[in-house]
Amino acid sequence: MNPEGNLGSSLAGLTLLEIGDQMGEWAALLLAGLGAEVIKIEPRDGAPSRRIGPFASDAEDPEQSLFFWRYNLNKKSATLDVDKPEAHPVLAALASRADIVLLSGEFETVERRLSLWRQLAAENPRLIICTITPFGLDGPYRALKATDLVQMAMGGIMAVCGYDPDKEGVYDTPPIAPAMWHSYHLAGEYAAVALMAAINFRELTDEGQFIDLSVHEAVNTCTEVAIPSYVYAGQVVKRQTARHAAPSITHARLSTSSDGTLMLANLSPFEREQRALAQLADQVGIGHVLGTPEFEQLEKEDRVAAAIYRNDLLVEVVSSLPADEIFHRAQAQGLAWSPIRKPEQNLDDPHFAARGSFATINHPELGRDLRYPGTVAIDGQSPHFSYTRRAPRLGEHTEEVLRRAGLDDSQIASLKAKALV
Amino acid sequence: MEPAHGNGESRNKRPLEGVRILDLTWLQVGPQATRLLATFGAQVIRIEWRERKAIDFIRYTPPFAPDHASADGGRSQGVTRGHGVRGNYDRGAYFNNTNPGKYGITLNLNHPKGRDLLRRMAREANVICENFSPGQMDKWGLGYGDLRKINPGIIYIQTTGLGKAGVYKDYVSYGPTAQAFSGLTYLSGLPEPHPPAGWGYSYLDHSPGYFGAILLMAAIRRQRQSGAGCYIDMSQSATGLMLSGTSILQRQISGKPTVRYGNRKPFLDWSPHGAYRCAGEDNWIAISIQSDEQWRKLTEEMGSPDWALDNRFATAAGRKQNEDDLDERITAFTSGCDRYELMNRLQARGIPAGVVQKAPDRFDLDPQLKARGYYVDLPHTEIGTWPVEGFPAKLSRSPAKVGGPTGRAAPKLGEDNNFVYGQLVGLSAEEMAALAEEGVI
Repeated sequence: MNPEGNLGSSLAGLTLLEIGDQMGEWAALLLAGLGAEVIKIEPRDGAPSRRIGPFASDAEDPEQSLFFWRYNLNKKSATLDVDKPEAHPVLAALASRADIVLLSGEFETVERRLSLWRQLAAENPRLIICTITPFGLDGPYRALKATDLVQMAMGGIMAVCGYDPDKEGVYDTPPIAPAMWHSYHLAGEYAAVALMAAINFRELTDEGQFIDLSVHEAVNTCTEVAIPSYVYAGQVVKRQTARHAAPSITHARLSTSSDGTLMLANLSPFEREQRALAQLADQVGIGHVLGTPEFEQLEKEDRVAAAIYRNDLLVEVVSSLPADEIFHRAQAQGLAWSPIRKPEQNLDDPHFAARGSFATINHPELGRDLRYPGTVAIDGQSPHFSYTRRAPRLGEHTEEVLRRAGLDDSQIASLKAKALV
Repeated sequence: MEPAHGNGESRNKRPLEGVRILDLTWLQVGPQATRLLATFGAQVIRIEWRERKAIDFIRYTPPFAPDHASADGGRSQGVTRGHGVRGNYDRGAYFNNTNPGKYGITLNLNHPKGRDLLRRMAREANVICENFSPGQMDKWGLGYGDLRKINPGIIYIQTTGLGKAGVYKDYVSYGPTAQAFSGLTYLSGLPEPHPPAGWGYSYLDHSPGYFGAILLMAAIRRQRQSGAGCYIDMSQSATGLMLSGTSILQRQISGKPTVRYGNRKPFLDWSPHGAYRCAGEDNWIAISIQSDEQWRKLTEEMGSPDWALDNRFATAAGRKQNEDDLDERITAFTSGCDRYELMNRLQARGIPAGVVQKAPDRFDLDPQLKARGYYVDLPHTEIGTWPVEGFPAKLSRSPAKVGGPTGRAAPKLGEDNNFVYGQLVGLSAEEMAALAEEGVI
C-alpha cells in the first residue's frame, strides 16, 4: 500500500460502538469510511432508521430501507437489548475492547444509558464516549422533542431558505427545510470532527473523554452571514428564491434553458464576467450593447437599469441552448454557471466517474451492484473514504461480535433464550 | 495518573498542538476547515497579499463593524451595534466570524522571493491548504509535487468546486454552483410547479470545510504515526452528492426520479409535518407529528374542533392523503397564536414543535444557546471584542476553543508578520525590512 495514499484505512484498528438512532449514523458512517470498525448495536426489532423509506421493496421492510442502506455501509450489526440490566455485562465486555462509543437519540434515552457508560469509562479511561442529542445534555431545552424539521427550524436554516416574498413584500410561502435530513448531516460531521480531535488527543495523552454534541448548535453554526449581519449591523437577512438571503431582496432570477432545465446562472460584479456574457451572446447570435459606449453611459446614469439589461440578456442567452451545452459554453468563458440537476443525473456524468465519486457496492440479496456517493475527496487516484460493504442485515454479526467479546456458545444461547439478542 | 474522564480540562495538551498549517485559503470553504483545526490547537497561519485582487473578498464584504468600534470598544465591551461604512480590510464582520484563532501574514507569491519564502516555511509545516483555481499552485511551482520534494511528509489539501482531477477540472464554481450541479438545490423546496427554493447561502462552502477538517485530522494522525504525507483533492460538488440522501439509490432501484416535497417527510408516516404561520410578521412554527398519539394531543391542544375528529384524519395514512386540507386547517389555528407560547404548549404535551428562529431569536432569545455558552467573546485588535459563533460540542478533556492558539478573533491583514517571520521562520529585523521594501512580505 502507498503510505501516502488515501485515508480509507487510516483508522484501521479502532472500534466504534454505535447505539442509537439516525442522529448518530452519519458520524459513524464517516469514521467507517476511514477504516474504523463500526459495530451497530440494534434493538431486536431493528434500529429506527430501518423504518425510514423509501424502500427497495413495495412494502415497508426493515431489510429494504434505502435510508438504512445509505447510512450504514461498512458497518456490522449485532442485536442486543441494551436497556436490560442483563445486557450490561455484555456491553462491559464490548466496551473493554472498544475505542469509541457513540450514543444518539432523545435526551431521556441517552441520559439513562449514560449512567452505565460513566461506570464503564472509569474502568476503561481510554474510552471516548460521544453523545448526540437534539439540544445537548444540559440547558433548559435539553428535554424538548425534536425532529429534523424542528432542528432546521430552531437552528436557523429554515429562516434563510425559501421563496421571495410577494410584490407587497409579504411572505406567502413558508420557510423551507432543504430535504434529506441535513440537521443530522451537520451533527454527524461535527461529531466526526470532535471524535477526530479526541482520537488525536488520546494519542498524545492516552486519555479518553466525554463529548456532548448538540444538534441544535450544529445547525446554528451553518447559516453564513445571518448571525454576523445581525450582531454587528442589526440587519435581519431575508430569504429569497434560490439566492443568498440578504438584508434586501436582490433581483437576479432563475433562467431556463431551451430544453426546459432551470439554470443557476448569475453574474458577479466583476468586469470579466460581463465580457464573458457578451462573448456567449455573440456565439449564439444574440445582439447586445454590452461593451459599447452606449452601455457604459447607461451604467453611469442608471446602475439598476444596466443590471436589469444584463440580466435580461443572460436569460435570453440561457434560453437559446440546451442545458448541458450552455453549461459547457459558459464554463469555457469562465462563468460559474450550472444546470440545476437532480442528484441522479450525476450517476452517468463522466466527471464524477473519472474521480471515482461513486462506490460500487455489491448487494448479494439483489444479485446486483448499486452505486453510492462514496467520497468527497481523492488522493489523486483513489477515494479518501472507502466503502466496500452493503449495510448489514439485522443481527448479521451478532454471534461474531459476542464471541469477540469473549462469550462462549452456552452464554450466547442463554442470551438468545432470554430474548436479549 | 489523574482520571481521564470527568470535567477537568487537560492542563497542557491540545489535540493538534505542534501542528503548523500554512493556510492559503480564502472565502469560505477553506477557512471553515482551518477554523476547526485552530479550534483544537493547530497553529494556523493565514497567508494573504496586499493587492486588492489577492485579498480575501470576505475582508471587504459588508457588513462591517460599526465605525465607532475600536480596540477596546466592541459589542461585548458595551459598544452598540451599527452599520459600519469605513470597511477597510480589517473591519469585516463575517471575516471576523470565519477566521478566529488564526495568525495572519502577508506574502507575495507573484514575487520569486515570496515563493522561496513559502518553500522555506513549507519545510517546517505539517499541512498546506489552498483553494485557488486548479493549477495555480503548480504554475507557481508550489504544487504538491513540488512541495513534497522539500517536505515528503507534508499534507496538502486543495478544495475546488468540481475537484482538481476529472473532466471538468478547469470549471469554475462557487458554493451555489456546486449546490445546483450536485442536486442539493433541486432537493430544496415546494413540489412542482414551484421552482426549487435552493439554499439561502452557500451550504457547500461550509460542509466541505467540515469534511476537510475530518480528513486533515485523519492525515495528521497518520503523519504523527508514520511521517507519511497526504494529498487531498476535495470537491464541493462531490460533497453535495454525499449529502443527497437516497435519491441516487432510488433511481437505481425503482427508476423513480427525485421529486420535491416541501417540508413534508414522504418516506415516513409523519403527518402533519410543516411550517405553520403564527401571529406577527413572517413568524412560523415547525410542527412534526410522528404518531397518532401525538396527533391526538395536537387535536386536544387545538380544542378538539369537529374537523380534527373527522375520520379522514384519524390515521397517518388518512392525514397524508389529505395533507393540503390538513395544513390549511392547522394554519387557521396557528395563525392566531404567539409562536413561542404555542411551542411551549405543544412541547408540554410532548409534541415536536419549534419556532422558525431568525437571527435575533437565536442571538437575543434562545435560552439554550445562552446556557450552553454557544457564542464566544473574542477580541480583535482593531474592532474590539465581539461574539463569535462557537463549536457545537463540549469535550470534557480537550475542549473546543474557537479562539485557538491566538486567543483572538480574526487577524488583521499581516498582523502577525513579526511573530511568524521573526520567531517562527527566524528572519532578522533587517531581512524583514528588506523583504517588505521589495514588496515580498
